[in-house]
Amino acid sequence: MEHVAPELFNGLVLGAFYAIVAIGLSLIMNLTGTINMAHGSFMTLAGYFAFALIARGTNFWFALLVAPLLAVLVAIIVERTMIRPLYGRDPVYSLLLTFGLSLIAEEVFHIVWGANTLPFAPPAALGGTVALGFMNFPTYRLFIVAVLLLVFGLLALFLYRTRFGLRLRAAVQDSEMIAALGTNTQVLYTINFGLGILLAGIAGVLAVGLLGLNPTTGNTLLMPAFVTVIIGGMGSLYGCLVGGVLIGLATSLMTLYVPAASEVVMYILMAIVLTIRPRGLFGEEGLFG
Amino acid sequence: MTPGRIATLAAVALLALEPLLAPYIKVDVTIVSAALLFAIAAMSANLLLGYTGLPPFGNAAFFGLGSYGCALSIKYLHVHFVGAILFGLLGALLGALLIGPFLVRRRGIYFGLLSIAFGQVFYFIAYRLTDVTGGEDGMSVSRPYLVFPSFTMKETAFYYLSLAVFVLSILAFKLIVQSPFGRTLVAIRQNELRVRYLGLDSNRFVFAAILISALFGGLSGAMSAMLYGFIAPITSLNWTQSGDFVLATILGGAGTIWGPLIGSIIYVIGRDIISTITPYWQIFLGALFVACVLGFPRGILGTILARFGSAPVANDPEDPARTQSPAIAVEHHG
Amino acid sequence: MSNPLIDRRTFVKGAGLGAAAIVAGVPAFIPRLGEAADAIKIGVLEPYTGTYAYPGENETIGIQMAIDAWNKRGGVLGRPIEIIKEDEESKPDVAAQKARKLVNQDKCVALIGTVSSGSSLSVQKASADMGVLFFASGGHTDDVTGKNCTWNTFRTCHSTWMEAHATAYTLAKKFGKRFYFITPDYAFGHALQTAFDDVIKQIGGTTVGYDLTPLGTTDFSSYLTKVPAAKPDVVVVLVQGDDYTNCMKQADSFGLLKKFPFGGPQVELEPLYGLPAAARTGYWGIEWSYSSDLALGKGNKAAHQFVADYFAHYLNSQKKPPTARECFGYVSIDRMLAGMAAAKSTDSVKVARAIEGEKFQSIFADGGYYRREDHQLMWPMWVAEIRPNGTPQDPNDLLDVIAKHDPDTIEQSVAEKAKICKMAYPS
Repeated sequence: MEHVAPELFNGLVLGAFYAIVAIGLSLIMNLTGTINMAHGSFMTLAGYFAFALIARGTNFWFALLVAPLLAVLVAIIVERTMIRPLYGRDPVYSLLLTFGLSLIAEEVFHIVWGANTLPFAPPAALGGTVALGFMNFPTYRLFIVAVLLLVFGLLALFLYRTRFGLRLRAAVQDSEMIAALGTNTQVLYTINFGLGILLAGIAGVLAVGLLGLNPTTGNTLLMPAFVTVIIGGMGSLYGCLVGGVLIGLATSLMTLYVPAASEVVMYILMAIVLTIRPRGLFGEEGLFG
Repeated sequence: MTPGRIATLAAVALLALEPLLAPYIKVDVTIVSAALLFAIAAMSANLLLGYTGLPPFGNAAFFGLGSYGCALSIKYLHVHFVGAILFGLLGALLGALLIGPFLVRRRGIYFGLLSIAFGQVFYFIAYRLTDVTGGEDGMSVSRPYLVFPSFTMKETAFYYLSLAVFVLSILAFKLIVQSPFGRTLVAIRQNELRVRYLGLDSNRFVFAAILISALFGGLSGAMSAMLYGFIAPITSLNWTQSGDFVLATILGGAGTIWGPLIGSIIYVIGRDIISTITPYWQIFLGALFVACVLGFPRGILGTILARFGSAPVANDPEDPARTQSPAIAVEHHG
Repeated sequence: MSNPLIDRRTFVKGAGLGAAAIVAGVPAFIPRLGEAADAIKIGVLEPYTGTYAYPGENETIGIQMAIDAWNKRGGVLGRPIEIIKEDEESKPDVAAQKARKLVNQDKCVALIGTVSSGSSLSVQKASADMGVLFFASGGHTDDVTGKNCTWNTFRTCHSTWMEAHATAYTLAKKFGKRFYFITPDYAFGHALQTAFDDVIKQIGGTTVGYDLTPLGTTDFSSYLTKVPAAKPDVVVVLVQGDDYTNCMKQADSFGLLKKFPFGGPQVELEPLYGLPAAARTGYWGIEWSYSSDLALGKGNKAAHQFVADYFAHYLNSQKKPPTARECFGYVSIDRMLAGMAAAKSTDSVKVARAIEGEKFQSIFADGGYYRREDHQLMWPMWVAEIRPNGTPQDPNDLLDVIAKHDPDTIEQSVAEKAKICKMAYPS
């Protein structure tokens, strides 16, 4: 039984990571109904930017701040030229378009940085483990949890305590009304997309400390992100957190009891949620009919 | 003999002559077979997407079940060709019966996501059952004989078989979508609530559409398994394969009868040609997705039809008669 | 609105056909550069996209080096040799279809390549159906020279059985007999596990822990947390490629690399270069090394020439030394062409008969031969300790080769194989 405690803890931390990956996706889906299959590609892009920045002599902390911003620049261009025409249309189109973008991105990464995995290590300060009594836990993963809490805190502050956040939430409820009241919704959508990608970028830089950095890195994280959003409910910060933790715990506990099912259990949970309560645990009803 | 019929016969004649033309146009029969069979799977996606208005992102599950049903029946039951096809269809049908009741309660993107979830579960199962399915290594599929034991098919013979199966499929598809049943599907796409108010149980129609779509997908999967001689979960069951079918449908024109074929020819053959020229072919493929969605979302055929002012294409994004399905209202009716 | 001269549906179908015809006609207009009418064409099937793109590209470099070397000597049978490359995307159906295209349309007389097991098996079947020679240069699954063996297929890289046996004894001798396994839950992993179990039984070892990691596992934390409690003598990592990178990186973050010896049946330079130095450690089976005399053979001119040629032409562009993948590609083509020269023909049956059983010297120590019974290349396999930062002269030289194993000691005997592999030539 002493196996369970480490796995539970592992699962919680894994869930925190999934939550960070998913929150950007959720924001984008929630406001404009855009299904961003290129989310993983943006994460990878931020990872590559971080690698490039560190190779030029900056440190990890600088890269963690700046690389996501660089990814946002790319995102804004993409949004204005390719995503914007799809607002109001069937989500199938945004899914296909962003899927196409992810294919292009993978190939561009291949051309620019090569098909090989690039060595990327978290800084020495975050290396090593923390003795928790029942196990030794990597400091880096605890750092990820800390970043998650910080990001969520800032995001909640932004959405619920600033005027801009207010406008964003209002636009989710009724875009037409807020446009009629004088807000430039196009700019709002762009900023929302940029915010989503900023979060993706942060998740990406954190991810390449755990995983290898190569053109296909983002692909593996895309599906868990979607599953988290579906289970937790679109647009709900709290839902992302809960959804992520749920998947993280399920995956970890499955490795104890039925390892063969540990990677498929998230899809089973997703199917259950979609069957019983498609809006997710904390989602708003009616966005997708 | 209407001009439309002439064109159709011309198309079939051209396809029939392909084996002779192959050395000159440098497109060999295997890839055209692949395109024709892909078109059948695209038709299966088209039925749901173009006519019923549901995003079929789990259709690879039906395709894959068809492939594995066929392959397993050949390996363990030593069936001949017709038997292999039947088992493929059976596999797909069983899958549809299993997940259909869940899918039918959802519309819109939830339908799509739920079908992805189920598809991924099948994918993992096929991956895990290494002893039966070969798991990641996949399994080889020997071509069974057609009628007589000595009559196994080489490439050209199999091509004609694929062509025949395709022609039968598209005839069946035409009959289905032009029947009252098919018209009801379109009505559901346009306004499901109205259909229910007219007294029809829309869920029954959607369920039937899922089953028929599964049969087309399974047929394509079974034939493809015999064409390639080898199947593996990554290509038969993975959700990215569904995305390819949907793209071919939209590229050619969702909601049209010949759209899936045009889209499949461009997608399958175009991809084959470009991947030979450059290892960076994925950029062109991705660009095709982007161009299609932004430039001609109605698809090639759909755009042409619209320009000539024919009746609105079934899944026209600009069709004023098209409204979002109010699934909430549907939910209350169970 | 509608044009009365041409019925719109006719136009539609005509336009559709026109588009199809254009797409179909394009290839005829693509010039194949430098295509000599009498050249011998060999089809190269490698993944150039996806997770195995890097090994695929490296195998192709080895292939190209061998082609260049032979063409410099006047080709084979007085004809130059050409390769036609196709991306098989590590997808078995694409591999089968491209194989057919290369043979039926492009008139290739032989095929070579593949990295993933599924693709190797798929191309093996397709090529056997077509009766064309195929060198499985990089696919390790036992079945290629086991139950799926065919007369037309030769396999260059080591089988999973060989890999497990080469390393298991060394690991046990060095560290002890309590093994903890992290195994990928698919056919390749199972095969490695079975082979390892065979050794464990022989030496009287114990498996103190055993994790089957399912497909798609990027996070190994759940498995790594269980390791300390099991108190193994050595942790055996069987996962490959990206999974290997992730697992080792995470093992390092859990502090396990400092506490327990890590090892396994196969490591390649490709994933090693993707690891930060702290995670580069352990004792692993390797299939070749460019820097060690134990691997190249003392005084082996051909081997040193190969490495020197690579350094001259490819080091700058590739930014890395030659790996086992280049070796696989080179040896495969070299022996294929030698077989054609010996058979004085490109007929697959004649060439196959000329190759099998022939002992030869190549760019590795001791020489080897493709066994007649199963067409597995019998050549040594090595065990290396990882040098995290290479040597002062060469930071890329990560493999410190410490042992060499004879093929006969690590592969199943002919008698054992005969029970599994039934090879028949066409009559």
